[in-house]
Amino acid sequence: MTERSERHDRVFWSSLFSSRQDGIRWWWIAGALIVSAVPLLLAPGQLTTFVLLGLSAMAVVGLSLLMGYAGQVSLGQASFTAIGAYTSGLLALHHTPPLLALLAAPIVAALAAAGVGVPILRLRGHQLAFATLALQLILLSVLGDADWAGGAVGLQGLPYLSIGGFELDADLDYAYLVLAGVLLVSLIAHRLVRSRVGRGLRALATGETAAEASGVPVGAYRLLVFAVSAAFAGLAGGIYSFFLGYLAPGSFPVLLSIEYVVMAVVGGLGSIGGALLGAALITVVVQLLTTLATQPGMPSYAPSVLSYAVYALLLIAVVLFVPKGIVPTLRRSS
Amino acid sequence: MTAVPALLTVTGATRRFGGVHALRDVDLDVAPGETHAVIGPNGAGKSTLFKLIGGQLVATAGTIGYDGQRIDRLAPHRRARRGIAIAFQDSPVFGGMTVTENVMVGAHAVTRAGPVAAVLGLPRHRREEAEIRELAARALDRAGLTAWADRPADALPLGQQRALQVARALCGGPRLLLLDEPASGLRGPERSALAGLIEQLRGEGLSILLVEHDVAFVARLADRVTVLDLGRVIARGTFAEIRTDPAVITAYLGGPP
Repeated sequence: MTERSERHDRVFWSSLFSSRQDGIRWWWIAGALIVSAVPLLLAPGQLTTFVLLGLSAMAVVGLSLLMGYAGQVSLGQASFTAIGAYTSGLLALHHTPPLLALLAAPIVAALAAAGVGVPILRLRGHQLAFATLALQLILLSVLGDADWAGGAVGLQGLPYLSIGGFELDADLDYAYLVLAGVLLVSLIAHRLVRSRVGRGLRALATGETAAEASGVPVGAYRLLVFAVSAAFAGLAGGIYSFFLGYLAPGSFPVLLSIEYVVMAVVGGLGSIGGALLGAALITVVVQLLTTLATQPGMPSYAPSVLSYAVYALLLIAVVLFVPKGIVPTLRRSS
Repeated sequence: MTAVPALLTVTGATRRFGGVHALRDVDLDVAPGETHAVIGPNGAGKSTLFKLIGGQLVATAGTIGYDGQRIDRLAPHRRARRGIAIAFQDSPVFGGMTVTENVMVGAHAVTRAGPVAAVLGLPRHRREEAEIRELAARALDRAGLTAWADRPADALPLGQQRALQVARALCGGPRLLLLDEPASGLRGPERSALAGLIEQLRGEGLSILLVEHDVAFVARLADRVTVLDLGRVIARGTFAEIRTDPAVITAYLGGPP
C-alpha cells in the first residue's frame, strides 16, 4: 500500500467517525443492529408485514428523494413497483435465472421512468402529480388486458429466488433480503445527496434559475432522480414477486402510490431516516386498522374506507402540525 | 478602443413580448478585462438584455457571441460551462445549505464527476470533492466570507448574501461575470463593501457586465456605460461622456446635473 493511499484510508476512517457526525452515525449503526434482530422475534404473520414494510421503505426512500430534492410529486410511484415485479416475474417464468430476473427489475423500471420522464417532467406541481397518476392507471389497464402478462389473473407459480445455490424459501430469508435492499438504497441515496450531484439537486429545489446559471443541468438531474426513485421501487417490486410467488395488476393499486406519498411526507421529505420511519409507522397503523376493520360485524368495505380516511387524516395532521415531517422536525429541535 | 476582439458581443438583440418590444436592435460588447455597465430607467429593457445573455430568455432576433462563438441557442448551464457566471438580484441563495455548500454549487461549471462515481465512492469522485472544497474556500476568501463559511446561507444579512452570490459565481472560475443590480436594497456601508469587492475583481482582470440602477455605483466602477431607454440604446461611452449627453439627461437623470 502506498503512503498516499494509507493517508487516504486514515482520512476516510476518521471521517467515518468524525466528531460532528458521530451522533447520527451511531444512531444509524445502533438502529441497523436492532432492526436486524427483529425478524428473529416475529411470528410468521408478522414476518410478512415486516417484509412488506421493508419493500415500501425502499420505494419511499426513492420517492422522498424525488419529492424532497427534485421537488417533483409522483402519485404513480407504484407503477414502477409493478414494472419491477412484472419484469422479474416474466423473466423468471421464461427460465431466466431468478437472480438475473431480480437484477433486471430496477433497470427496466429506471429505463421506463427515463422514457416517460422526458415528456412528463416538463410539467410542474399538481399537473405532474396527475400525469404520474394517469400513467399508473394506464399501466394497470394495459396489464389487466395483456395476455402475455396473464391479464387480470396475473402471473402465478414463480420460482423461489436463489442466490449462489441457496434457495430463499422461507419468510425469514426474505426478511433479511429486504433488509439488505433497504440498506442498499439508503446508502445509494445518502451518497448521491452528499455528492456534487446532490448539491446541484438541493440547489435547484430552492433556486432553479440560479442553479442552472451555476452550471447545474436542471433537466438532466430531474430525470436522474426520477429514474433512481423508479429503480428503488422496481427493486422492491422484484423482491415482492419472488416473495409472494404470484402477481396481479390488483397488487399495485393507486392506493399503494398514495401510501408511499403519505409515508414520505409523514417521515419528512428529503430525509432517508424519515422515509424509513414513515414507512414503518404507516405500515403498523394500517396493520392495526386492518385488524380492526376485519372484525366480525364490520362491513366488507370497512378496510379500504378506513385506510383512505386514515391516510387523509394523517396527511392533514402532518401538514398542519409538523409540515417538515417527523424526522427533520426532531433533528432541528435537538 | 484597441483591436483586441471583444469577449462578449451582442448584435441587434431584439425581444418582443406579444406586440411589445422590450428590447429593440441593441448592440453591446464587453472587452476582455473591461467593466461595462448597462443603465436606464425602469422598463428600459435592462433585465431583458441580462436574461438574453444569461440564457433565461431567448431573443426574438439578433445574435450573442462569446469568445468568438455564438451562444444564443445554448441552455443556461452550457453558457456557465463556457465561463459566464451570473449573480442575480432577486434570486435567493440556496436555502437549507451552508455558505460553503452554496459556493460549491458554483463549481458545477468546471467539474464533471457523475452520480455513479459518487455512489461507488470512486477515487475520481473523492479527488474532485477535495478540489471543489478548495475552489470554494478560495472563492469565499476572495469575497471576504471566510468567517461565515459554516453558517446557514439563508441566515446571512442581505449584503453578505449578495457577496455570496458573487462568491458562487467566482467558484466556477468565470471569464465573464454578469451582475444584476448588485447594489439594490443595500445600505451605505454594505453598498461600498460590495463596490470594493467588484473593484478588486476588476483589478484582477475579470470582465464584468454590470446592470445597475445606482448612478454613483456605476460612476465608481464602470469603464464604459451603455444607456438604454424604452428598449433602445440611447447613448454609450465613458461615464463622463454619457452624463453630459442630452438624451440621457432627459430620459434618465431627469434634468441637468
